[in-house]
Amino acid sequence: MTRQYPEVQPELPARSRGVIALVEENCTSCMLCARECPDWCIYIDSHKETLPSPEGGRARTRNVLDRFAIDFSLCMYCGICIEVCPFDALFWSPEFAYSEYDIRDLLHEKDRLGGWLESVPPPPAHDEKAEPAKELQVAARPPRPARDAGAPAAAPARERPVREPRAAAVRAIKPPGSLPKRPDPDPDPEGNGSGPRPTRGEPPENVT
Amino acid sequence: MDCMPRKSENAGMAPTDLPMPSMGPLSRVAPKPMRFILNWGRRYSLWVFNFGLACCAIEFIATSMSRHDFIRFGVIPFANGPRQADLMVVSGTVSDKMAPAVRRLYEQMPEPKYVISFGACSNSGGPYWDSYCVTKGVDQIVPVDVYVPGCPPRPEALLNGIIRLQEKIAAESLPERYTWARSHSPSGETLLRPPLNPPEAPV
Amino acid sequence: MANVTENREQVVGIGAGAKELATEDMVLNIGPQHPSTHGVLRLRLTLDGERISQAEPIVGYMHRGAEKLFEVRDYRQIIVLANRHDWLSAFANELGVVLAVERMLGMEVPIRAVWTRTLLAELNRILNHLMFLGSYPLEVGAITPIFYAFRERETLQAVMEEISGGRMHYMFNRVGGLKEELPQGWLDRVADAVHQVRTRLPNLENLIHGNEIFRARTRGVGILTPEAIMQYGVSGPIARASGVDFDLRRDEPYLAYGELPVKVVTRQEGDCLARFECLLDQVKVSLDLADLCVDRMRGLPQGPVNQRLPKVLKVPEGHTYAWTENPLGINGYYLVSRGEKTPWRLKLRSASYNNIQALKEMLPGQLVADMIAILGSMFFVVGDIDK
Repeated sequence: MTRQYPEVQPELPARSRGVIALVEENCTSCMLCARECPDWCIYIDSHKETLPSPEGGRARTRNVLDRFAIDFSLCMYCGICIEVCPFDALFWSPEFAYSEYDIRDLLHEKDRLGGWLESVPPPPAHDEKAEPAKELQVAARPPRPARDAGAPAAAPARERPVREPRAAAVRAIKPPGSLPKRPDPDPDPEGNGSGPRPTRGEPPENVT
Repeated sequence: MDCMPRKSENAGMAPTDLPMPSMGPLSRVAPKPMRFILNWGRRYSLWVFNFGLACCAIEFIATSMSRHDFIRFGVIPFANGPRQADLMVVSGTVSDKMAPAVRRLYEQMPEPKYVISFGACSNSGGPYWDSYCVTKGVDQIVPVDVYVPGCPPRPEALLNGIIRLQEKIAAESLPERYTWARSHSPSGETLLRPPLNPPEAPV
Repeated sequence: MANVTENREQVVGIGAGAKELATEDMVLNIGPQHPSTHGVLRLRLTLDGERISQAEPIVGYMHRGAEKLFEVRDYRQIIVLANRHDWLSAFANELGVVLAVERMLGMEVPIRAVWTRTLLAELNRILNHLMFLGSYPLEVGAITPIFYAFRERETLQAVMEEISGGRMHYMFNRVGGLKEELPQGWLDRVADAVHQVRTRLPNLENLIHGNEIFRARTRGVGILTPEAIMQYGVSGPIARASGVDFDLRRDEPYLAYGELPVKVVTRQEGDCLARFECLLDQVKVSLDLADLCVDRMRGLPQGPVNQRLPKVLKVPEGHTYAWTENPLGINGYYLVSRGEKTPWRLKLRSASYNNIQALKEMLPGQLVADMIAILGSMFFVVGDIDK
């Protein structure tokens, strides 16, 4: 059956890789996406900003995003940037209709990337045989002693500090050869904590 | 075999030498409603020549199949060759070895001619932009009207690109079109990479 | 090879005998852009009248330097590039890379991931074969089958897109498993899609397989002997159509193929028709395998689909060779690592490259009109030839 495209929009699956949407508030300009991109088509500019110190505390710095641009004429739609983003700032949108007369217009700056956010669908539910989501595993377990308060990061991402021990127990790499036993400590520059991050209500929590 | 249309390449370098082609005296002095009809006719009978080079060519074929069926838009994929085509869809990676052939087939198309660059590879080299043998975008060798992003773009994206092209055709007048194609045609001097220059000794 | 050479000698004999009828050799250049080739393969044919006396495939028009690019990309980024060289079997290509890396790491993949990979690989095989089942008749002049083939392709691409997000380049493998969990109810939709394709496949088959004209154009044309296959390293359905009974899925099982009854489709004739039939029967076998995979996956215990990886994945020093039965033949990856996060060298052994070399043996002695039939029946992807 012929799909009547311009009149009838196609129904695309939620994982469909059409265009990348950016939640600007979640981005800490950690540059992970720009570094991991296989053809380096993400441009990020940022500057550091010193926050006034809370009473008695030391002054904190945080990164302010000046520019976030993805060159869709170069992008190969692999989704690595979305996968590596530690703060859920990037999402796939199935939107595809953005062909241009001028190739320069395919470079989407952050406001245009943010505009795609409206079309981001909620992620599909997982198969019954799937491991329960980390959040559920954590919620099902009795509260742990306040040991992880020793972690230096002031819990920027909710799921992060609790993930490692549990996950390591479940899926240990068998004979690791020269693999490090534990993942390296997070080298992200934003690890020094920038307080709780505002999350937009719009994008759903990424359960993976 | 001569890989490069030398004569036309020179014409591209000195565009003022040739008289301005036109579709008869009618189109030049055509009143607006007439021009509308002429454009309407051209926009819905785009005989397309698929320059299928890589993955995107498969999606191009998928677009021409019954599910997406771009004949609905008057895009007819049965052009026997570039000489019968109005629209060239470059889908796939243009390698430096292939680039002269792309340029040559483009030159063979009759005016007015349109080019859709389909997919990241032909837009800018895409995944292979840092490769030693890939042309960084087909717009380095031929003027491109519409860029369709994607790797490969889904069939609906090509349909969207075609619609954008038809909008462009509807709004243009032919004399403008010719000057556009001239001004956007990369001349020999802008073709920086060595394999794009005319080869000294034909193989 | 024997009868082909005979044929040629016969023609030369006639030409030599009748001097006034002797023709000069003509060099005919086919391609690089030619309606009958998918992608840009160039052939330089030397013709003696209508017979081809010499054929030389000229490759490299699609060379993109993928192997060199592998060397500056880490193992996750390589997967992106690896699935693009043979664009019709993207999943199988990714698989070769991750299998090589996993072997070097000594990593064990969760069982659900193994079965999902097997299922996806089979679906990808069907997609690939459907493309050729449609385009081959198109090349010999029958336009209709490709519409049927693409309808089935769209059915399967829908489930592939649902799980991976891509219609052609899935990018769903990761070292140690898969990228994401399966969506809920996906297995049902796979079973449904497989069922649909199976019930509609006879449409395609009856349309072309029994067609008299099609059979006349393909039977006995372009015979490839087992000896030539051994010499040129031809593999996949093309080799099996000549009676070379070799299939890595059965003979050196990877993934979960060891537990599956892989039926290897073979033919003895070695002509274009046999190659086409091989492809057609392989689709049926793959549909059955996909069903078996779905059944097995329903019975698997709950578990993850990927391993937790270190942030910087470094492969220990050494080298390995992983090969897989790609839809078009044997695909090999020779991975040499110096213990860094990028490979020192990743050599691709792609099926089409070897398969296409046999054209040099097959084409001489044939008519120019049969050239298209032979070329189409070699089931190659130009990206796979030139890499």
